[in-house]
Amino acid sequence: MTKTETAPQLAGSANPRPRRALRLPAETGAIVMLAVLLGLLGGLRPAFLDPGNLWPLLGQAAVPGLLAIGMVFVLAMREIDLSAGAVFHLCAVFTAMLMAAGIDPWPAALGGVLLGVVLGLLNGLLAITLRLPVLVVTLGTWWMIQGLSQVADKALTIASPTAGGGFFAMLSAKAFAMVPMAVIVLVVLAVILHIVLHRTRFGYRVQAIGSNPQAAAYAGIPTAQVRLLALGLMGAMAGLAGVIHVGAGGSIAPGDGSEFGLLAIAAALLGGTSLKGGHGSIVGAVIGMLVAQAILSAIALLGVDAAWRTFATGALVVLALAADRLLMLLRKRRSGHGQDGLFG
Amino acid sequence: MADSPILLVRNAARRFGGTVVLEDMNLVIERGSIHALVGESGAGKSTLIKMLAGIVAPTGGAIEFDGKPAKIDSPNAARKLGIGVVLQQPGLFPERPVLANLFVNREPLHNGLVSRREMEARSRALLRQLGLAINVHAPLGDLDPAERQFIALARALLENPRLLILDEPNSALDQRQSERLFAALRGLKARGMSMLYASNRLEDTLAIADQMTVVRNGRDVLSKARQDLTVSEEAMIGQLRQSLFPLPLRALPTLAATLRPQLTIAKLGGGTLNGISFMARAGEIVGLAGLAGSGAQELLAMLFGQRTARTGKARFPDGDGLPRTRTEAARRNICMISGERGNGLMPDKSIAFNLSVVVAGARDWGTRWYSPKVALDRAARQIEALRIRSAPETPAASLSAGGQQKVVIAKWLEIGPQVVLLDEPARGIDIGSKQEIYALIRQMAASGCIVLLHSRELSELTGLSDRILVFHRGRIAGEVAGADADAAALQKLVAAGAPAAENRQTKQEGVA
Repeated sequence: MTKTETAPQLAGSANPRPRRALRLPAETGAIVMLAVLLGLLGGLRPAFLDPGNLWPLLGQAAVPGLLAIGMVFVLAMREIDLSAGAVFHLCAVFTAMLMAAGIDPWPAALGGVLLGVVLGLLNGLLAITLRLPVLVVTLGTWWMIQGLSQVADKALTIASPTAGGGFFAMLSAKAFAMVPMAVIVLVVLAVILHIVLHRTRFGYRVQAIGSNPQAAAYAGIPTAQVRLLALGLMGAMAGLAGVIHVGAGGSIAPGDGSEFGLLAIAAALLGGTSLKGGHGSIVGAVIGMLVAQAILSAIALLGVDAAWRTFATGALVVLALAADRLLMLLRKRRSGHGQDGLFG
Repeated sequence: MADSPILLVRNAARRFGGTVVLEDMNLVIERGSIHALVGESGAGKSTLIKMLAGIVAPTGGAIEFDGKPAKIDSPNAARKLGIGVVLQQPGLFPERPVLANLFVNREPLHNGLVSRREMEARSRALLRQLGLAINVHAPLGDLDPAERQFIALARALLENPRLLILDEPNSALDQRQSERLFAALRGLKARGMSMLYASNRLEDTLAIADQMTVVRNGRDVLSKARQDLTVSEEAMIGQLRQSLFPLPLRALPTLAATLRPQLTIAKLGGGTLNGISFMARAGEIVGLAGLAGSGAQELLAMLFGQRTARTGKARFPDGDGLPRTRTEAARRNICMISGERGNGLMPDKSIAFNLSVVVAGARDWGTRWYSPKVALDRAARQIEALRIRSAPETPAASLSAGGQQKVVIAKWLEIGPQVVLLDEPARGIDIGSKQEIYALIRQMAASGCIVLLHSRELSELTGLSDRILVFHRGRIAGEVAGADADAAALQKLVAAGAPAAENRQTKQEGVA
């Protein structure tokens, strides 16, 4: 049927101009920002660019980076998961407690990841059954999960017996005597998730739902399933981040990772993932997280009071939102379809 | 079996709450034919199509597809049967690449991964046939509305449907693009495709259909083969609407034309608009015709202070220029009434509250405070005047679409508007309310308002306006006096941007 010989008699040229607008990749902003930051900091404090300083910085970025690449899926679906940081913490506490209770580190680690998946699926189930945006649901579950970890750790640092052997040796090891293990995990997972987002049906469906939820349903996409899966994936990434945090550091303190959830959202937005859904960039999220960590470590490096860290995290979120918004307006203006949002 | 119709709809019905949208609708589509579904907007065409697409479930009636009873309870069920649908607001994904749009939810896999190469290969021939020279990797939002419409068609065709359903497929297309679409559809018919083509433009359907069914108020009132249609029946279908429009009320003819307050626009530009100049007098209804994106809507937005003009001047009856904000517009008795759903109505608030928002927001009733009692009193008066059949305390959402639209109009009447900007004021509502709203518009003009009316339904423009300005690509392409405005000529002007005789100019514009 598709081989119809319609070849309509076209009066003149049917389509005068296939627009050849130069389209920068969505990650451009984050890359430029990172380059500028590195240049500035390197100029001010040459010690900053020392490999001995840069690799630990990467290691710090890797754990929240895992959250950020999970968050890309949620954002691409036009949703926001606020509870990711809390899930991270509870999974870390859970893993550390399992290990402290004498369970072998590997099954304990698996337990931590599974807990993350379960929490993510619970968020998804609530959102679907109550027909609420994930943002609203996770506003509640965020506090619940945070409360649970406070109950569990009684506001104390939980250290796991590091004598566990292979597990800790592996996660605190450095490849080539330089590269922290967490970085390698992040890179591998970023590559895998990049492929999942851009080359699998699941990834296509996630972005289709984010782009136009109603049209996605009309196209027969099982939207509830996809939403559930994406949130489960987010939970898994948060759980894995928690496990790696415990494995690399050997302990989890009450305040650890409190800003990771927002940081992950900010990093994803900085990296060109749109708050409006429909498009996500895993690579951009990783770069965005590097920008975030560079700013945070610059605070320490430049001798600013550490109390400013929280302020900086918040400023970063605002910056990310502004970047997202400006980009969208720019694109709309350039594509020049005047009637879009005319009466908005 | 082979002679049985491809689709048979018997006594289909659909109610939304208390509103009956479809009632006893019958439809028979023969194999290999183009069947047109003609009717006013709001007659139930779109609901019937959504029913066939598995988006809306029928509350009664039976559907037979290919001679067998069919239950279409989901979009996937419709697809499995072989029904391909192009919806009016195409279910497309603006942020996603064209390819992802074409193959949504059935992306071809290669080694478990979505294969862009295969998507490209499978769509290339079809896109060429449809005359689309586009970058298939660019986001769909980069394409212009006509190209998007063709992408929606291509998406439906990629499934090799046995029945293709199109809901107003050429509402965003100009003349040339429409002809291209028709050529493509005729080509499909030659290959044996059955089609259902819904439209409210009679001229189009007469040009392309083999059979037609006329829908009014959720019922099929006439179903015939195109060639059996007598001239008088044709005229009847065309004139179904004429009775809708009340005779003009003339209240101000005694006043010299130059003495009446007027709205003067000189060389207004900005956005897609370019050098718009015209004048409108009190008591006059000026129609603004044009396709989506032609600038008519943009002009209304500018006059209401929603967009800023780059160049040019406007002089309102109060002597001032363009309002800078919507609040300023409301304070200066300029009002904007849009028929877009959800525009200007707070569905869960009471009718009284809705009627008082403009006054409370931009003006006052003599006291500084919002008084529920005053609001109720005034609302009761408006409700009676406009025959909104409900008590002022009930939520606005409980009204029918027509009633809701009357509330939207009434809230502006509260401030006694001087300039009335109407953007498809009667879209998607039942015929009875339409008539009442048309009468209201006449009344507003007769009482000395300057009325600018934009509509995509040309019959609405010809039926109501004293004269019609035709917009094409941001310019005024022509002016037609209401008296000699006939829909077909107007249609040509709207679509081509030039009267039929001046073909050369059309081509030049096409190149530019």
